[in-house]
Amino acid sequence: MPVPSRAELVRLGFARADRAERFLADPLLSPMSRELIEAIAASADPDEATIGLLRLMESMDRAGLREQGRAILAGESGRDLVRVLGASVALGDHLTRHPETLSALLGGQDEPLASAEAYRTRILEAVGADPGSAIPVASGTGDELRIAYFTSLAGIALADLTAADPVALQVRVSQALADLAAAALEGALALARALTEDHEQVLLSILAMGKTGARELNYISDVDVLYVVAPAGGAEVSGETLTAVGGALARHVARVCSERTAEGSLWQVDANLRPEGKDGELVRTIDSYRRYYERWADSWEFQALLKARPVAGDPGLGAAFVDLVQPMVWQASTREGFVDDTRAMRRRVVDLIPHAETERNVKLGPGGLRDVEFTVQLLQMVHGRGDETLRTRGTLEALSLLRDGGYVSRAQADEMDEAYRFLRVVEHRIQLHRLRRSQVIPDAPADLRRLARTVGLGTEDFARRIGSVRRRGRPLHEEIFYRPLLQTAAGLSDGEVRLTPASAQARLAAIGYRDPVRATRHIAALTGGVSRSAAIQRQLLPALLEWFADGIDPDMGLLAFRRLSEEAGSTHWFLGMLRDSGVAAKRLTRVLSSSRYVGDQLVAMPYATRWLSRDEELRPLRAAELGEELTASMRRASSVADAVTVVRDVRRREITRIALSRLSERIGPIEVGGALSDLADAELAAALDLAMTEENARGIRMAVIALGSFGAREMGYASDADVQFVVEDAGAGEDAVSQGIRVATAVQKILNAPSAGMDMKVSADLRPEGRAGALARSADSWEGYYRRHAEHWELQALLRARVCAGDADLAARLEESLDALRYPAEGLTPARERDLSRMKARIESERLPRGVTPERHLKLGRGAMTDVEWVVQKLQLAHAGADPSLRIVGTLPALDALAAAGILPADEAEELAEAWLLAWRLRRALFLWKGRETDALPADRTDRRALALLVEGSDASARSLEEHYLRVTRRARAIAEREIFGEVMHRLPGETHP
Amino acid sequence: MRQTVPMERHHDDVIRTVQDRDVRFIRLWFCDVVGTLKSVAISPADLETAFTEGIGIDGSTIEGLTRAYESDMLLRPDPGTFQTLPWRGEVSGTARMMCDVLTPDGEAAASDPRRVLKDVMDRAEAKGLEYFTHPEIEFYLFQEQWRDGQPLRPIDNAGYFDHVHHAGGQDFRRTVISYLEAMNIQVEYSHHENGPGQNEIDLRYADALTTADNILTFRTVVKEVALSMGQVASFMPKPMFDRPGNGMHTHLSLFSNGKNVFHEPGAEFGLSRTARQFIAGLLRHASEYAVLTNQFVNSYKRLWGAQEAPSFICWGHNNRSALVRVPFHKPTKGTSSRVEFRGLDSAANPYLAFAALLGAGMKGIEEEYELPEGAEDTVWQLTDRERRALGIDPLPTDLYRALEAFEESELMAEILGEQVFEHILRNKHDEWHTYRSQVTGVELETTFGRI
Repeated sequence: MPVPSRAELVRLGFARADRAERFLADPLLSPMSRELIEAIAASADPDEATIGLLRLMESMDRAGLREQGRAILAGESGRDLVRVLGASVALGDHLTRHPETLSALLGGQDEPLASAEAYRTRILEAVGADPGSAIPVASGTGDELRIAYFTSLAGIALADLTAADPVALQVRVSQALADLAAAALEGALALARALTEDHEQVLLSILAMGKTGARELNYISDVDVLYVVAPAGGAEVSGETLTAVGGALARHVARVCSERTAEGSLWQVDANLRPEGKDGELVRTIDSYRRYYERWADSWEFQALLKARPVAGDPGLGAAFVDLVQPMVWQASTREGFVDDTRAMRRRVVDLIPHAETERNVKLGPGGLRDVEFTVQLLQMVHGRGDETLRTRGTLEALSLLRDGGYVSRAQADEMDEAYRFLRVVEHRIQLHRLRRSQVIPDAPADLRRLARTVGLGTEDFARRIGSVRRRGRPLHEEIFYRPLLQTAAGLSDGEVRLTPASAQARLAAIGYRDPVRATRHIAALTGGVSRSAAIQRQLLPALLEWFADGIDPDMGLLAFRRLSEEAGSTHWFLGMLRDSGVAAKRLTRVLSSSRYVGDQLVAMPYATRWLSRDEELRPLRAAELGEELTASMRRASSVADAVTVVRDVRRREITRIALSRLSERIGPIEVGGALSDLADAELAAALDLAMTEENARGIRMAVIALGSFGAREMGYASDADVQFVVEDAGAGEDAVSQGIRVATAVQKILNAPSAGMDMKVSADLRPEGRAGALARSADSWEGYYRRHAEHWELQALLRARVCAGDADLAARLEESLDALRYPAEGLTPARERDLSRMKARIESERLPRGVTPERHLKLGRGAMTDVEWVVQKLQLAHAGADPSLRIVGTLPALDALAAAGILPADEAEELAEAWLLAWRLRRALFLWKGRETDALPADRTDRRALALLVEGSDASARSLEEHYLRVTRRARAIAEREIFGEVMHRLPGETHP
Repeated sequence: MRQTVPMERHHDDVIRTVQDRDVRFIRLWFCDVVGTLKSVAISPADLETAFTEGIGIDGSTIEGLTRAYESDMLLRPDPGTFQTLPWRGEVSGTARMMCDVLTPDGEAAASDPRRVLKDVMDRAEAKGLEYFTHPEIEFYLFQEQWRDGQPLRPIDNAGYFDHVHHAGGQDFRRTVISYLEAMNIQVEYSHHENGPGQNEIDLRYADALTTADNILTFRTVVKEVALSMGQVASFMPKPMFDRPGNGMHTHLSLFSNGKNVFHEPGAEFGLSRTARQFIAGLLRHASEYAVLTNQFVNSYKRLWGAQEAPSFICWGHNNRSALVRVPFHKPTKGTSSRVEFRGLDSAANPYLAFAALLGAGMKGIEEEYELPEGAEDTVWQLTDRERRALGIDPLPTDLYRALEAFEESELMAEILGEQVFEHILRNKHDEWHTYRSQVTGVELETTFGRI
């Protein structure tokens, strides 16, 4: 027939019509029918189909198959052929290399989607082995295996690509691919036997895992396997022979399958799911597997075993393996560690996606193939323990069984099934093109167009369809898993899902709720009734339940959420915000499931919940901002009592903000100390301002010196503020000090007024002469005291002092005096050094509260904060007089400076910093977790586990935290002892370790 | 995270056996940090609870097991260790199981010695190595319990390998062995030892956890049998200063997939590189773990009381004075290649001692320690200067020095976990203090009338 014109070719969809015109005019293609040209035009890539067809005809010509070629071009089979050529360059290449296989492929001699048995026969015959033998041994070569494999693969592709509804056919295609892979393993094993001496002494069975095991394979992927060995025919075979011969067979199988020759390569055989992974023995006996699975295996390994299926080698041995592991698989959900493993796996499924590819990867990420597989498998593990009808390997089969069993609603199961098949078809088409293992949708326009056409869609429709499937995927997971929980809790049923209360509770328990009965009650309370808020809750809760489950204490989180909803649920913004802002909802679940303190605060002031949707609200306010607000609103207050309320409210609000900010990871752990100290600064400044006014103190200037953790800006959520008041005459004359004392008293009254909340206590007990001394002193008298009368430890305390509020000129003067007093030019005299060591020793024996073992006290304990701080102080006293770089208030920066100055070895400074910081963080985290200040590493393991998760992240456990803390503080103690007490301390009779 | 599977099958076996043999009591065995056997008896009715939930005990009464404020502990029996106690009769008798100690929420207790050994063995097993031990346990038989002021009277006066006509010793060993074998503990060898009344019984090699369980059982069996014969057995390291001490020479080996990794045909002494590194680890950390292999004040009197005790840190091929000895082996028998550690005494806590030895050896393998030259000579015949020239250090001379080396050891803290580490430090310093708080006869004799 005449070749269509260029214009017509363009119209038909050829991208390079000029080239197509030339190719189509080739005499070899002259028998081509009009229908065939239209079929080419309808193929995924008409240009590639044309080239492929021409090359194939040339090759047939060379092989003396010209007549057969002409028949194909003229007949109907050509139209099927060009579908394959347009979609797969790789299969086109294979057919061109082996034109002799074409007639069988197109002539209908070989069933395109054959049975497992038929593939096995084909492959074994191809490698010259007897399919009828129990132990087939090959006489052929690996290339013969590869040719037979790709020929059958081309058959599957043909059936797939010419199907009227490929999405409907997907399951059958995947089964055929898995059966073909199994046959290839059998062929490879037959080849391996021919290469292995003594192979007849050993029975070997190959179990397929993963997609091959579940008979849901794609065109090209690693094939996951396990190998089982046994002595053949009751022979006496030593363990070493079994291992050696079995191992050799397994290695040959893997090599045959992965080797790349001119005929291409099949795939990698991956045996890494075996016991002990890469380091484990490649082949094992049934007994050896039993020992491992009974004693060692992790719960995820049993989830992998769910898919195990004997595919090659000795069938009896394979069956014995399945009999061994199946009962264990279905008990896995009751094992310790199942919940943790499941959580970890979900994190991997949902979180760890390479960002650039998220949208284009059909396998990974939310709503991807793996997400569906995970959801189905989790439901299977949870419910399959009690319901044997769910025990099947394939994802879609399991999904339909879950639907039939009433565990998943029909509509959702169908939707998920459809989405899954569609994504699988897309994946198949991506892989077919060059037979590369990929799940990424290409972004080059030509590639994307070809891909879209293979699934019968235009480029834009394709993108839309993919997008909608992906977007729907994640919520669908939550719907399927959690929606029925709501219905069961509320006693509702949509007639399809019939989850018993016990099944619903099993689901909650599987994802980490410790008290599923009570959780069900909370769910019922939140979603019951016909109110608008109940309706929104029904919409929100499936996702929230999952996020609580990701938190430290899902039960606490859900309870707090219920209380918060009862407080704020009727406001116009609360549920709306959670519905509209995924970030806010996610943060709220994290906060409520990690902090009893914040939970209580939010219930008391629900408006703070709104901050979670706005990053700028989660920034701790700066001291100046706070100062302005406090001063202004306290001046507005009608009485001192009102002013006290103002301070208290602002304090409470800001502490909550800092805690929310920390838990949402907007600020780091150390910034918390700074933010809390800023807050305390502002409170003191405002209180001082108010007190000066109230006391009518016009003739004086005043300043407040902060000491201790307040001075060092290392405060905790409930730290007290240690201060000293200094006054300077500005006209009051002799009355100045007594005015100052009145002001200082008023400041304390304002800030220390009793209340139910946790207030910061302002204490001036560290002033000169202690409680016996005057509450405020003149600057001269203050300086005079420290110059002439102060004891060494009082001067040492000044190392953590700074002026935090008051008159600027006076502050400058005091800062100057502070430096002169605390960094002695002469350094640490022997007498003073002795004094310091003695004081430290005395504190150790006296301060520690009864009932707390020294290793576990986070502040005063062995190697804890005080030990580290004393090292810093001693070294500052000794060296800061001479070296101004050491004049730093604050433990961590001072340690850095000491290391930089070469006074402390860098590794020691680091170990001290690690111990100090860990103790500091634990104290802060303890407050958030329990809602109150505690200074001992908790005895309760639940508390310790929570701390571990808060401070050390998701992999930590109660024991690992304890071990870590005891270790770093033990090391810090050793350094501190050396630095503070000198050389190694010998234990004397009767002395206990401090 | 590895954990034990619910071993329902084993559980059922145990419950069935208890039923069949009409066992009346089941003793749940575990041990404290010192290595003293502790026992809680339950009735068959409580068995199922014991397996599924564990049996609660008040851990605060047990040395080193808990901190005072966290005293509730659970015992979970290991059904694989179920045995009836032969001296209690086969019918209507008593059985025992070894237990893991757990916290109330099912986590292994940090302070359970069995846990310490399991952890170290797990770490080795993660590298594909299985740890086997084969102990030779020495002990004395005396005519009666020690009483202050009375000299100790051994039951005989024989020596090494002597055939003792006094039938007591032979009968004794025969009964002990038959009991042990009834409890499925294989005995390799037994004979009369050097000292009067001293015996040695070698247990067949097994994985280190089983061996440690067996040693605990063994000590109990020996004491029971002795009592039944009107004698008293003692595992004290050095009960009589002028007689040999009670050592527990232990052969150590590592296997990978059924193959002894210490063995390399053709290499010097058949020792593989791994074996050399392992021995190097044993030597380098010997002072650090002495507190565990030789845990009592009295232990150091064995180590420093001559009589072939290994007082110096060195190794040798068939050198009976070396701390680590590489025995002759049959060249064809790859599986028997092993390393004999001669420092242990019979009073050690076998769980902690085996854990320390494995940990030290593994450290040598991981960090590829170089093995120093072997010692050819009998080390205690060398002068101090000669030894210094050869780079051979002494083991700690007393418990206090051992504690100093122990306290400095990061490796020991890592092997034991911080809590057991800390407990041992306290407990052993107390022991040292008690020892020092006495005025001995020697002092009175040499000083009282002197000035």
